[in-house]
Amino acid sequence: MGKLDLLSGNKAVAYGAKLSRVQVISAYPITPQTPIVEYLAEFIANGELDAEYIYPEGEHSAIAAALAATIGGARGFTATCAQGLGYAFEVVAQAPAYRAPLVMGVANRTLGWYWSVASDYSDSMPTRDLGWIQFYAESCQEALDGVIQMYRITEDERVLLPGMVCLDGFHLSHSSEPVDIPDQDEVDEYLPPRKIYKHTTDPTESESYVYPSLPVSLHTTYRKIFENAMQRTKDVIREVTKEFSERFERDTHGLVEEYHTDGAELLLITMGSMSTAAKRAVDRLRDRGVKVGLVRMRFFRPFPSEEILRIVEKNGVKAIGIVNRAISHGTSMDPLGAEVAATLYELKNRPNIINFIAGMGGGDVSIRDFESMVNKLTNTLNKENVRETMYVEHPIKIETPSVKFSDAAYCPGSQLCAGCGATLAMRHILKILGKNSVLVFPPNCVSASLAMHFPSSWMGVPYVLANYAAAAAYARGLQRAYKYRGKKVYVTVIAGDGCTADIGLQSLSSAAESNEPIIWINYDNEAYMNTGIQRSGTTPLNAWTTTTPAGVKWHGKKEEPKDMISIMIAHRIPYIATASPSFLRDFESKIKKAMKVVEKAEGLAYIHIQSPCPTGWRFPESKTVEIGRLATLTGVWPLLEVDHGTFKLNLKPRKLKPVAEYIKLQGRFRHLNDEDIAMIQKFINKRWEKLLELDGKIMW
Amino acid sequence: MRISGLRCWKMGNREEYPEIITISTKEIGSEPVAHWRVVKPVIKYETCIKCWVCVQYCPEGVIKESEKGPIIDYRFCKGCAICANECPVNAIKMVREV
Repeated sequence: MGKLDLLSGNKAVAYGAKLSRVQVISAYPITPQTPIVEYLAEFIANGELDAEYIYPEGEHSAIAAALAATIGGARGFTATCAQGLGYAFEVVAQAPAYRAPLVMGVANRTLGWYWSVASDYSDSMPTRDLGWIQFYAESCQEALDGVIQMYRITEDERVLLPGMVCLDGFHLSHSSEPVDIPDQDEVDEYLPPRKIYKHTTDPTESESYVYPSLPVSLHTTYRKIFENAMQRTKDVIREVTKEFSERFERDTHGLVEEYHTDGAELLLITMGSMSTAAKRAVDRLRDRGVKVGLVRMRFFRPFPSEEILRIVEKNGVKAIGIVNRAISHGTSMDPLGAEVAATLYELKNRPNIINFIAGMGGGDVSIRDFESMVNKLTNTLNKENVRETMYVEHPIKIETPSVKFSDAAYCPGSQLCAGCGATLAMRHILKILGKNSVLVFPPNCVSASLAMHFPSSWMGVPYVLANYAAAAAYARGLQRAYKYRGKKVYVTVIAGDGCTADIGLQSLSSAAESNEPIIWINYDNEAYMNTGIQRSGTTPLNAWTTTTPAGVKWHGKKEEPKDMISIMIAHRIPYIATASPSFLRDFESKIKKAMKVVEKAEGLAYIHIQSPCPTGWRFPESKTVEIGRLATLTGVWPLLEVDHGTFKLNLKPRKLKPVAEYIKLQGRFRHLNDEDIAMIQKFINKRWEKLLELDGKIMW
Repeated sequence: MRISGLRCWKMGNREEYPEIITISTKEIGSEPVAHWRVVKPVIKYETCIKCWVCVQYCPEGVIKESEKGPIIDYRFCKGCAICANECPVNAIKMVREV
């Protein structure tokens, strides 16, 4: 028998993946999915799981790498949500044709539109037509079981399709519940090792591979063949989840779950975690004699139309309320509502339908809400052919902020941590830039803090929230608009290291190469801090992060940080500089130089700021400026600039301080021994000598 | 097909919402964060040499120059203690909030 533990939905998914003995994990941080891959990194670091771990530069690559691992014969796992799923859309669309049994965790979150990090299905719903199996968990237990079941389903030779295990962001992903973690032996008995199929791309074991393209004349035919596989999958799901249910003695099987459907005149159809509140509403209403039942969609793809028809016909259901965290704009229905309506077309006596759009953006749908919905259903009983949509709203009053500042580019009160280096940097950047600027924010700590006081902001200049991989492109478009309209506006990107060095590098590189007169500020806190301290391309060697933990097998980050300055030098842009908020005069003069460069439309100005992060680097918040100063004085963060090709070291201490002074103040380096520190010192010394050589040289 | 809203919970609210929500750049604002604080900076004016290092390095920008020395806007001080850490003459003492 397994053991009982208190797990969040994310941890439950991570346990599901671990128990499924996943072999290649590839994922990129995104709220609220991130803890899934953090836990998996921890399992590997501690020697509890033997798997390859890939750190790609964005979701597009993350899902591609996991898919390719699955194509290559490994049991692949990835996880994402929202913008990440949207960014990876073309990979997601391509995956089914490889007939590769990839499993992806999706911690559902609003996609695009007005930003929210909380749960609705606007991310996974748009992928519903692509050929993935979609499972929606109601509880943390089901999230764990769902992963194991999903591998068994996807790897079944009658199926061989990719599958998503969806769990509501925050409602499930960050809520803890008692979860029965099965024993590894039991799971091994249920889930045999990954097989190599005839079409697996492995020249050592398989003599064939998947042909990637089709003649036009065969596309329709192959869509039919594929759809047959999808329909066939329903039987596999019924069969293997039943077996799971019996083996693990848990009632978690089938395409749908029925709750008090016997004799139900009224029927609620729900998905995901809100179903628990719906069940409690059903309990209360049944106590009062209302004949109401509930059908919970465990699987949305393939769509369980047989089950729905059977339940409606058997019980003579008169009215159905479909409740979902989704909407298909332009139809006034949500995809589930539309498909239930289409399913009912086969019936002679069709029940009335109300499609309730509820809980968008992560709003709670309460027991009382469900009672109100059932009330509305009851009201339709004396009518015929009702098809209605209702938005379940919880209106709030829009209030203005309690403290106001006039004509300021900046005001205090942001939600950034106490002692945040980026706050200090932002305050001085805004002071220099002034009101005649537009800021472009890809996701990062600062942009996340901007919209926290609805509907106000602590910044007195307009900003645009840019998609992560396209921050430079947003800036280019804005700049060209102002140029065309004869305006002078400083378009400035405030990006973190993740955007600059990883996911946004391609877009930045293109803008730099095209001489776009924009300012790019990379405030580098040396990890993905907004999502909670995951390794980035600029995380220093050996540093602890949540995805490079120190354990039996791992010793922090294994690689050297990416040298962004050299990359920008290779682009030959007019102004490149490093800066530190601990050296404010140097810092401010560099911002001014960058403004001159874009004023004259000479090209892109790149300023790389080290932004000490007390939360992520594990030091007391009073030490932010001190640590920034030590970084420069030890040679870890040299202050330099490349002004129109001329390299200059702005601060040359006669003797560098020992790097240990900088390292020993920070918890992220706590696991380092003297030997490790000596290695880092060697690296710093070598780099410093190189910098001294370059000082005063013309780079191109 | 009929389309309507089911206003739950705060039933009395009948506020009309603007179709496009905008933010003013003329007047900005925020909410005080004083409740974040565990320790509070207190300036010893007799020791202060008015070098304004604290004004420069306060991440929030809540320390202002004045004739008698720096003045802290406690509504927005998060209590990070950078000012106390950076003060060259130890003129800022961190005092536990009660």
